[in-house]
Amino acid sequence: MPLSLLVEHLLNAAVLSGLLFLVSVGLSLIFGILRVVNFAHGVFYMLGAYLGVTAVVWSGNFWVSLVVAPPLVGALGAGLELLTLRHIYRRPPIYQLLLTFGAALIMEESIKVLWGPTARAAEPPPVLSGSVGLLGATYPSYRLFLIAMSVAVGVALLLFLARTRAGLVLRAVAQNSEMAGCLGADVRLVRTLAFGGACALAGFGGVMAAPMTTAYLGMGIGVIVDCFVVVVIGGLGSIGGSMIGSLIVGAAQTWGGYYLPETAMAIMYVVMGAVLLFRPWGLFGQEE
Amino acid sequence: MRRLALLVPVALFALPWVLARHQLSILTDLLIFGLFALSLDLLMGYTGLVSFGHAGYFGVGAYTSALLLLNFGVPVPVAVVAGGVVAAVIAWPVGYISTRARDIYFAMLTLAFAQLLYTVAYKWRDLTGGSDGIAGVPKTGLWWGAPGLASPTAFYLVVLVTFLMSFLLCRVLVRSPFGRALLAIRENERKFATLGQDPARFKIAVFVIAGFFAGLAGGLFAPFRGFASPETMFWVLSGQGLMMVIVGGIGTLVGPPVGAIVFILLQEILSSYTEHWMIFTGLVFLLMVLFLPGGIVGATRAWLGVKGTA
Repeated sequence: MPLSLLVEHLLNAAVLSGLLFLVSVGLSLIFGILRVVNFAHGVFYMLGAYLGVTAVVWSGNFWVSLVVAPPLVGALGAGLELLTLRHIYRRPPIYQLLLTFGAALIMEESIKVLWGPTARAAEPPPVLSGSVGLLGATYPSYRLFLIAMSVAVGVALLLFLARTRAGLVLRAVAQNSEMAGCLGADVRLVRTLAFGGACALAGFGGVMAAPMTTAYLGMGIGVIVDCFVVVVIGGLGSIGGSMIGSLIVGAAQTWGGYYLPETAMAIMYVVMGAVLLFRPWGLFGQEE
Repeated sequence: MRRLALLVPVALFALPWVLARHQLSILTDLLIFGLFALSLDLLMGYTGLVSFGHAGYFGVGAYTSALLLLNFGVPVPVAVVAGGVVAAVIAWPVGYISTRARDIYFAMLTLAFAQLLYTVAYKWRDLTGGSDGIAGVPKTGLWWGAPGLASPTAFYLVVLVTFLMSFLLCRVLVRSPFGRALLAIRENERKFATLGQDPARFKIAVFVIAGFFAGLAGGLFAPFRGFASPETMFWVLSGQGLMMVIVGGIGTLVGPPVGAIVFILLQEILSSYTEHWMIFTGLVFLLMVLFLPGGIVGATRAWLGVKGTA
């Protein structure tokens, strides 16, 4: 394989992994702190993409959409937690999954009503619309920017959790919410903010994805299924697991899609099956 | 109550002579999806395994039956049973891997495998016709050489008999020692394991059985609608199955078909007003999960003060 092709494949895998990471890390964080698997997480990603496209159309500026859309998605997520999830934490975990499933259906159909069934394209910002030469390969600079942003988000998240006081409270609630509550943490508020924050992150991923993939119906379920595979491989509730899982799935899809286009999906599942046979709770997850 | 319950099958046999053609077609749909929801409840309600990919087996049944009917002209009952068997065969390895994981992980795995089946159906054009699916599936006879089941009433009766037989089989199953073992796993898997039993074997077995009945439902669906398409494996159908079980009443045999009735009638009524009926069914479902976790049957039983498992 020529070097330029290898570089291109590596970058493609990194782009895909980056997007998967932005969504799956939120899924994982929500599980760690709320013990809920948010089925609607993919739809929040999709909503981010659509809001982003609309914001670009209105403002004519990609950067505005990147700042405006994610908080809106996050606010909607926090609202969902506040109105519904909060009241059924004591039920068996499957009810929360079903509830978010219902929410996903409503949101998906609402997006169809609001934006119509056709895909919406977005232009990358002018600064990033060109290509860059890299080790013999030419690569769109927007995609390089996407890789850089997902790495930045990952690093920022790790630093936030490890070094700030808010991160400390989050980790405490994740580890033992009752004890954290006794020590003065406002557990209910932490949960709402964590859910909203994670949804905003998915929305951010959606805004970032739109110039590359366009915003289309069905992108939510596509990404959530991939993210489920990511967190099954990496283990729920762990940022490191989400990173490794995203890299594995991104790589499997990129090279699988190149060498065995018809069976690219299958490779991802073979990897997942293998992980499960040896570590049913994922590479970084904790046995429960 | 029990005597009254016996009137239901009698009424179901009499209905084709009362209902209009369109109504009979809805009733046939109700029974097919009622059977699908019932098979899902064996997993969800009785074993505590929430599958998010149950449509996969419905779809495998539909494709199997469609291919057999179209290419070999086998009788309808043979095609339907073959649908169940092939679905069960595919459910085995999936069950083997998925049941290694618990709760949420199990749900995610089953969804992932169903999406894999969907992708296969979508991409393997030579066998499945890709996104077009397989159209023109004939309603053949009850046996080789018998006249075709062209009349809606005749086909309805085949669906009804399959449904009732499956219902009775499931009833025997959940009341058998095997069914009791499933309940024990649902209530406390660890304790079940310490009693010297292997929960994994039971979980795989019930996964295969549920796959079989879902395959039967799919096997009926293909000749009834005359086609099989990738949509029969799509996550939306898996989700609708879950909704039927929850709305009707999880952990009962009557509940899922009741849920199917409510769900499909709701869809039938809403879709004549708006094409975005999914928003409203989603809303109904959300409210049920929040306020009525036992579903319609659970709430009715609580109201009447009846206890029971079937």
